[in-house]
Amino acid sequence: MKKTLFFMSVSLLTLAACASNEEGETNEAEAEGEASAEEVDEETNNEAEISEEVVEIEFWHGMGGGLGDTLEALVDDYNASQEEFHITPEYQGSYEELLTQFRTVGGTETAPALVQMFEVGTKYMIESGYITPVQEWIDKDGYDVTQLEENILSYYTVEDELYSMPFNSSTPALYFNKDMFEEAGLDPENPPRTFSEIKEAAEKLTDEDTYGFSMLGHGWFFEQLIATQSADYVDQENGRTADATEVLFGGEEGLRAYEWLNEMNEAGTFEYYGRDWDDLRAAFQTENVAMYMDSSAGTKDAINNAGFEVGVSFIPHADEIDPNGVVIGGASVWMGSGISEEEQQGAWEFMKWFNQPEVQAEWHVNTGYFATHPEAYNEPVVEGEHEEYPQLRVPIEQLQATVPSSATQGALITVFPESREQVVTSLEELYQGTSPEDALQMAVEGSNRAIEVSERASE
Amino acid sequence: MKQQAADILDTKTLTVQDAIDKYKVASTKTWWQKTGNYRIAFLYLLPSLLLFSVFMFYPMIYSLYLSFFFTDAQGTASAFVGWENYTYLFQSAAFRNSVGVTLLFVLYTVPSSVIIALFLALLANEKLRGIGLYRTIFASTLGMSVAASAVIWLFMFHPTAGILNAALTSINLPALSWLQDSTMALVSVAITTIWMNTGFSFLILLGGLQNIDEHLYESARIDGAGYFYRLRRITVPMLSPTLFFIITITFINSFQSFGQVDILTGGGPAEATNLIIYSIYKEAFIYYQFGPASAQAIILFGAVLLLTLLQFKFGEKKVHYQ
Amino acid sequence: MKRKMILYALLTLAAFVMFFPIMYAFSVSFMTSEDILSRRLLPSSPTLDNYRDVLVSVPILHYLMNSFIVASTATLGMLIVSALAAFIFAFIPFKGRQAVFLLFISTLLIPWEATMIPNFFTIQSLGWMNNYLALTIPFFALAFGTFLLRQHFKTVPQELYEAAQVEGLSNFQFFYKVVVPYAKTSFVTLGIFGFLTTWNMYLWPLLVTTNDTVRTVQIGLRRLQADEVATNWGLVMAGVILVIIPTLILLAAGQKQLQKGLAKGAIK
Repeated sequence: MKKTLFFMSVSLLTLAACASNEEGETNEAEAEGEASAEEVDEETNNEAEISEEVVEIEFWHGMGGGLGDTLEALVDDYNASQEEFHITPEYQGSYEELLTQFRTVGGTETAPALVQMFEVGTKYMIESGYITPVQEWIDKDGYDVTQLEENILSYYTVEDELYSMPFNSSTPALYFNKDMFEEAGLDPENPPRTFSEIKEAAEKLTDEDTYGFSMLGHGWFFEQLIATQSADYVDQENGRTADATEVLFGGEEGLRAYEWLNEMNEAGTFEYYGRDWDDLRAAFQTENVAMYMDSSAGTKDAINNAGFEVGVSFIPHADEIDPNGVVIGGASVWMGSGISEEEQQGAWEFMKWFNQPEVQAEWHVNTGYFATHPEAYNEPVVEGEHEEYPQLRVPIEQLQATVPSSATQGALITVFPESREQVVTSLEELYQGTSPEDALQMAVEGSNRAIEVSERASE
Repeated sequence: MKQQAADILDTKTLTVQDAIDKYKVASTKTWWQKTGNYRIAFLYLLPSLLLFSVFMFYPMIYSLYLSFFFTDAQGTASAFVGWENYTYLFQSAAFRNSVGVTLLFVLYTVPSSVIIALFLALLANEKLRGIGLYRTIFASTLGMSVAASAVIWLFMFHPTAGILNAALTSINLPALSWLQDSTMALVSVAITTIWMNTGFSFLILLGGLQNIDEHLYESARIDGAGYFYRLRRITVPMLSPTLFFIITITFINSFQSFGQVDILTGGGPAEATNLIIYSIYKEAFIYYQFGPASAQAIILFGAVLLLTLLQFKFGEKKVHYQ
Repeated sequence: MKRKMILYALLTLAAFVMFFPIMYAFSVSFMTSEDILSRRLLPSSPTLDNYRDVLVSVPILHYLMNSFIVASTATLGMLIVSALAAFIFAFIPFKGRQAVFLLFISTLLIPWEATMIPNFFTIQSLGWMNNYLALTIPFFALAFGTFLLRQHFKTVPQELYEAAQVEGLSNFQFFYKVVVPYAKTSFVTLGIFGFLTTWNMYLWPLLVTTNDTVRTVQIGLRRLQADEVATNWGLVMAGVILVIIPTLILLAAGQKQLQKGLAKGAIK
């Protein structure tokens, strides 16, 4: 039996080795035809080792899976495009782990020159003292930052200073199964917009194998439902004029969202698929869910993986109000302090480079994240893509239609990760039968306690 | 108990230690000679003691210290709060829930892990052709990392693409929300944990079974005792030290189940799988609140220590040493 | 005969249940994403694409080598440090030895996750970030290992000790000339056990490394999973298979030793 297992493994390893060889050959084949980008990159790498002129720059990121591959390819392109700097991307686990990692090494020599940080880590980064606001370099270099997408910049701008460079930004949108809409007698070209419209549509779409609506267990979606009602998440203008002292989402705006979800859940037209992005998506693709909210970054995957027509629309809003739009999510890239001027220069050059329309066009097409530079949408590669997937335009329109305000600018609080956890937990309690008022109150109390603890700790 | 057992043993199995004891009594040594053992012991124990001090005892003491503070954004103790972290925990519904969940989890995993492993070990202890293959398969989960195991189960539990729900629907049963339903999620994490534990427990129990003297069975067979009579009267008593060991280890491990929770549920839904160990991790590494996290760690340590001592006190009485 | 049939039936059924997750992962690793979504048990047309993609997107061979270095070093250190301590607990009596032994055993109860925060700072201040030291040294001292070896050492027959006295061997000579060879089985056992556990470390390597130089294979596994975009399960399973093969081989090869050695430690 040892032999069997051993044989199995050996054959497997051999197969794996063959597979990698095969890949090598394809690369060579490509390279023969034309000098491939990778080859150029390799040359730069070699030069990097030989010449001392090249400045090494570490770039920490939290992107796993295919996104990580795209990011690494992007960095390779940059390295190939010039010879002064060499950027090394380093994966640090999930966004949370990345933050932990940065907290602990911040200010030491292990700290990187460039670090990606999810949006809720913004407040921490600003206060950490381990970063240089990119505004300094913008001023020094006379860079025209207004050319970038205003609604993305606004999140990372505090007191008129831009702290980090937008990198991968997304917003939620409503995704729905057009085929099911038709079967249920709904108009797929005119999808529901308000809470009550969604509720009604969900009722029609629900049958024995299908639930009408679902929402991922992630605080980000609830934040959108609040923001679009023009309500701040925390006080002090969403924490942007001073440190927030308490959360504000416990008001009627929050309650509307909780009640709406509760009504659908009780009517059996809503099903909860947990906190894992993948589980909810799979449920949509296998037609167990007819409508759900997802990140705009997943649009293309959603369309490609579905065996039916996928519709994309704006996020739902309460009946009582006019929608104010969305808050961006995703992450931005920060510049570490305490490193040499030269390294900062390199970091800055990279930031400028990836915000160019051509680069952003590629980025947008390959990842589904927004282009930070609006002109990128006029690039042929994007236009072609949008022709093929017209749904990709919807989140862009939604973002550009967003009404600027402290609500849609997004909240700045240090304890955001904890507050999100409190919200998700309370929603899960709601789905298990707790009343909307009690559930919401739990999230409010939990978040306020977190704010209080962090306040007292920093006194 | 042990002493009595040792008395019965004949001189052949007398250990070196006994010999040393005898030797020591008879001798008259100088002070330098008398302390010789201390010096040797110190030297040999030094590496362990040093490493334990740095990586086990110091962190525990530091945690104790931190548990009386709030920590700032850099993780340093910044505000002394006395017992607040503890009193808050005892009042907090979330912590009470974690305690309940942890106890329930221990209850789900420990007995079933041991019983399944015992069952497999009894099967694999039969003298049959090809038994080696079966033994290796049963032991295989010992070679599986937490990360790999949990990822495989995560996919099997997948609500729509998972094989478990596919199997259920194919025999006309309703699909289950393995990880999305509060009650089910803890069971699912427990199933994964039991599976992961089995390899180790199985190997140890199988080794224990093979150490049982064949003559005992033979004489029982001559007396006409049936399989289950032999199991109850010979196997289980003779195996009891091994069983006791396995129960203790499984018990301690169960309190420390982290990776599978992190990958499968992240403590959810509605904190239904938020074991104390996971709650500590979240408090410390996601919320960056080392004070409350440390208070939980101290409570967990105290509880496990207490329960293990109780187990030794009452459990060991039932154990037969050969 | 009938009894044998029943036994084989039970064995096979149990083996199937126990081994199913591993076999299933193996099968999925050869599937295309269509096969995966349609919940097939076996791939409709087996493909090696997933393996190729894993090798391209993650430096898995580099990670495997790191894991190998880390696990072997930690195992070796664990054996030496535990053996030294076990020798004292088995042979050298002194007043308070029982108390020291209890102190050792009490470390079994300390949850590793609970000590992680201060340990993280310790590693940081020692300057061991991104260093093999951080992944190995903290695991050298192991209460379980000390306990296991002590139990074996105690079975060393008296004659051997007497012979050593006659030969005029020092304690250390007695230790490495007599005790170590005598308890070879237990060293192999602890070695395999130590290798498996350090190979499988999950959270710690991620915390104490910030780049690929010393990262281990379990992190590579993590890197394959995505958040905001769809996870490619075939790819992940291919990664899983590559990661578990070395330990499964080791386990299969050393299973007998492991079983004997572990059992001895547990009983006496």
